[in-house]
Amino acid sequence: MIPSSSRRAILDRIHGATRNDESRYEAVPRNYIHHGSFDADGRIHLMTERLREYGAEVMETSPVELPAVIVHQIQLSGRHHIVVPPGLPAEWLGSGVNWKLDMGLSHDEIEHCGGVTTAASGAIADSGTIVLHHGPHEGRRLITLLPDFHLCILRASQIVETLPEYFARFPEPPRLATYISGPSATADIEMTRIKGVHGPRFLSVIILRDDC
Amino acid sequence: MSAPVMDPRIAPPFPEAALPILQNTQLRKNVAHATDVIQAKRGRLVAEKADWQELRESAAAIRAHALANLGAYLEEFETKCTAAGGVVHWAADAAGAQNIILGILREEKANEVIKIKTMTSAEIQLNPALEAAGIRATETDLAELILQLGNDEPSHIVVPALHVNRKQVREIFAERMGLPQLSDDPEALTAAARSYLRRKFLSVPTAICGANFLITETGAVAIVESEGNGRMCLTLPRTLIALAGIEKVIPRFSDLEVLLQVLARSATGERMNPYTSLWSGVTPGDGPQRFHVVLLDNGRSQILAHKVERQTLQCIRCAACLNTCPVYRQTGGHAYGSPYAGPIGAILTPQLEHMKHAQSLPYASSLCAACYEVCPVKINIPEVLIDLRAKLVDQERAENKRWFDPMYIGMRAANFAFASASRFRVAQKLGQIGAGFFTDKDGWIRRLPSLGARWSLSRDLRGLPKQTFREWWAVRERGNKGAK
Amino acid sequence: MRASLFITCYNDTLYPETGQAVVRLLERLGVELGFNPAQTCCGQMHANTGFRAEAFSQAKRFVQLYRDTECVVIPSSSCVAMIRDQYAGLFDELGTEELQKEFAALLPRVYELSEFLVDKLNVEDVGAWFPHRVTYHASCHGLRSLHVGERPFRLLSKVRELVLIPLANLDRCCGFGGTFSVKNAEVSTAMLDAKLGDMLATKAEFCAALDNSCLMHLGGALHRRVESLRPVHLAEILASTEEHPYEATR
Repeated sequence: MIPSSSRRAILDRIHGATRNDESRYEAVPRNYIHHGSFDADGRIHLMTERLREYGAEVMETSPVELPAVIVHQIQLSGRHHIVVPPGLPAEWLGSGVNWKLDMGLSHDEIEHCGGVTTAASGAIADSGTIVLHHGPHEGRRLITLLPDFHLCILRASQIVETLPEYFARFPEPPRLATYISGPSATADIEMTRIKGVHGPRFLSVIILRDDC
Repeated sequence: MSAPVMDPRIAPPFPEAALPILQNTQLRKNVAHATDVIQAKRGRLVAEKADWQELRESAAAIRAHALANLGAYLEEFETKCTAAGGVVHWAADAAGAQNIILGILREEKANEVIKIKTMTSAEIQLNPALEAAGIRATETDLAELILQLGNDEPSHIVVPALHVNRKQVREIFAERMGLPQLSDDPEALTAAARSYLRRKFLSVPTAICGANFLITETGAVAIVESEGNGRMCLTLPRTLIALAGIEKVIPRFSDLEVLLQVLARSATGERMNPYTSLWSGVTPGDGPQRFHVVLLDNGRSQILAHKVERQTLQCIRCAACLNTCPVYRQTGGHAYGSPYAGPIGAILTPQLEHMKHAQSLPYASSLCAACYEVCPVKINIPEVLIDLRAKLVDQERAENKRWFDPMYIGMRAANFAFASASRFRVAQKLGQIGAGFFTDKDGWIRRLPSLGARWSLSRDLRGLPKQTFREWWAVRERGNKGAK
Repeated sequence: MRASLFITCYNDTLYPETGQAVVRLLERLGVELGFNPAQTCCGQMHANTGFRAEAFSQAKRFVQLYRDTECVVIPSSSCVAMIRDQYAGLFDELGTEELQKEFAALLPRVYELSEFLVDKLNVEDVGAWFPHRVTYHASCHGLRSLHVGERPFRLLSKVRELVLIPLANLDRCCGFGGTFSVKNAEVSTAMLDAKLGDMLATKAEFCAALDNSCLMHLGGALHRRVESLRPVHLAEILASTEEHPYEATR
């Protein structure tokens, strides 16, 4: 069948079926909870709790201490060769770590790296979700997918409590987004929960208190 | 066990398909266990969500609104997706979709594809079509991989291999992956799958996925998953093809604030699933540089036209209805003879077949409404089931079928009797006489004839009392009048 | 207080003792109970099996019969659910505007038995005596269509010497489902087995419900298996007193 005639046929049937429908987007009821009730400390506390629930390591630090903490975390992880996106602040890349700047690394090169360090675009405390919009400080999607260890620097000011609050912050939708709310998991074999099927099995989050 | 039949055009009717499964204690135990686990998790998270009913209300309204404006939203999605570098195709039916996909794969000179689970691809029977064209398709969801390697079929929407136990998985992997020393520990099995699939992810340049949501505002596609194989298929290959039912559209990106909340809790009993991916078209330097969306009708636009049935299309494929259904609990998914099982399958499958096939499915329900209670988008499944039954009866009446069907004869006779009290009293008397033939000395009936034999399979029936209630009342009234 | 009893076609024919119990109970509570002998059926069986035109004619008859009645009491939650959930749609499709109006006026005056007692008569202690161990199964229509909620429990808790034992999975369907019990007899039986397993585990003497349809299905299997657990309708428990104790006939 010629594609355009399918398109016409489908749209004609749809228009026929919905001819008499009047439904305004603004009329959709929205009586659910929009705003959270925690203050900044409360949000950070909740985010930390949720992250730890799903096995991520979490710590807080100040802007001054951040570079040292980053290096320390990577050294603790025992990982070598850490991928970084090109837009990550240079001052975050302390010495003592073998940084691999992603200026078009091959799949193989990324496969040989032990981990990746990125910033984030947002976080939702209620579900412990980290949001990546894959801008210059987060990097292309591949680099947070192939390596086994992900160190994520999250600014305290980026953390909201509820999912609607995240959407309220981004009236201009991102072109790309990945929402991470746990390590990969499957319960496909006898409902036994196994973590880390694909994607990084180890997540470390540094909450940067940029709000003090 | 040979592979169960999941093609509604040739699958046996539900009561027949259920029989071997009812004898399979292991399967029924697995189903009960799996559904109990998910239901318990769902229950806890719903209880903690103070605005759960409000979220359901909004989710239902968003989906209903999208369907009421489906044409406009689809056209807008097409425009936005195309502007972002995607190619949008329209498939009127399964054959159309197969042809489009095969066409793209031929252009790509692809001889292998990796797939993320999508029931829509099972609906259009894509894998057999790929095989016939000499294209190897590897399923990358762990459950789908187990089923594919084991020549089996899914029995649940979210946990498709729940009917397979660890020993069975071990056997399948040991043989098909060449790992004779593999243990049956789920961790080891999962690790084996991880290695096997990683090689595929890094080498196969073409992937096929479905879509949880099509976002009109940005021409984006959203995929919700737990394992990470989705992210692999969505970022590593050169070419990505997304197959999506036309009903998947939602108006705005921010509508996800409602839908993701209800989906995660309903499907897996989590506040949020591990990974959700969102992308618009093609992004230079990041992910597949060739992206196609195949919009599938295959009966959906017809469902849209029916007032009662349209709500079927609101479904977001969470499978909460399966997890709560007392019928599904006993039979698992294979009895439904379709990629779509359980309550949603019972209403969707026959409709996709234009009511010509899967006619036993609307009757595969006791109308208990547990499904409606848990549906995050408030599909009144019992209402649709009853309406589909009426449609089937009307169809059969129009075709003059079933003049001699005991059910039809019984229904017509009962209707005749219910039209007046005098007729009803006669019917009651006839019933007493008739039942008398089958009533044992102790006043119980153990073997009814005809359709009744199905009752007598497992249940006795107390014989009809000699005096009906209305007769008792009439005697009492006469006595009272006499006393006055 | 005046009320009219709609006995239901199957209670009338198969379980007249339930109707008699309703009469004894309501008259004991001072209700002037009437019975319109012209009644037959609410139309549920036909509606749920897809015989819509037939269901409509029965539904229309019901409305015409009771349109001038003060209130109607029905000892069957599935029949009340039929009236509440499906009559409007049937009349919308096949009826006249006048019929729709008559129905709308009648609807608030239709009660399932436990609703009538708790909501209309405002009574929970009906003066009943039933010295037995009882477990209660929540019939699906009562639970999910009528939202009877706590009403049956409140009534049962006031029955003297009744010991109420909680039933596991009490909200899971027993497997009757009308013609489902016959069209899908094997699956219906599997659901029945599961329900009986939960019931027998309570070691109760009686299993109670709002609907004789569930009880016919459960009781039929209990009898086949020669179990000591016996079915009883809520009305029969509430009608039972020291002077006129319940006598089991099933």
